[in-house]
Amino acid sequence: MKTAELIEPEVQTVSGENVIQIPDGLLGFEHVKKYVLLAQPQEAPFMWLRMIENADKRFLVISPVHVLPDYQPDISSEDVRFLGLTGPEDALVVNIVTLRPNRPPTVNLKGPIVINRNSLIAKQVIPNNASRFDVNHPLPV
Amino acid sequence: MLILSRKLGESIVIDGRITVKIVRLEGEIVKLGIDAPIEVPVHRQEVYDEIQRNNQEALAGEAANVPTLSGKSSAPSTRPQLQQGKAPMPRTRG
Repeated sequence: MKTAELIEPEVQTVSGENVIQIPDGLLGFEHVKKYVLLAQPQEAPFMWLRMIENADKRFLVISPVHVLPDYQPDISSEDVRFLGLTGPEDALVVNIVTLRPNRPPTVNLKGPIVINRNSLIAKQVIPNNASRFDVNHPLPV
Repeated sequence: MLILSRKLGESIVIDGRITVKIVRLEGEIVKLGIDAPIEVPVHRQEVYDEIQRNNQEALAGEAANVPTLSGKSSAPSTRPQLQQGKAPMPRTRG
């Protein structure tokens, strides 16, 4: 087992050609395999994971460093291979935020999205220690 | 769906490397013992269902507003753990 250092994503707008490929899709959105990750300084630390083919559909995401400092998802070797991660520095982890009317936003720590920074191949993984994390973890707003 | 009848203590083998054994019967609860290589993720169905429901709820349109975090953290580093499996061949994905 190896420990990975999660580097905070740089706040910048990813250009159109930097398509994030999610071969398995997100759970419930298996047919949507191409996204773009958009980060704007005024929205930091939040970013948008936007569908390419349906540009008005998007997920708000955040790096878990802003949510739970000691977050340590234990990513299976199966997923490490699938993503082609050769070292911890290859991985960018983001978590999906749920916005609800009149209720505080929450973040899904149970099913993080792991992105290979080099290949931009990503997967929504279920960590081996998923039972320790909440799918609706309160955001500190 | 393949349906097999098993008695207490009996097993099934999947792909020659994953063994699922009926370990205990307690009323309506069946306890399963699963023996699988470390690189094979095993999760309860509910975990997938829960994340799927959460994704569907989280899907946002153009109008969604970004919240403001209270007390911006100094962003200590998060350390995901990566399992380094020993299996030489990656599994084929459909």
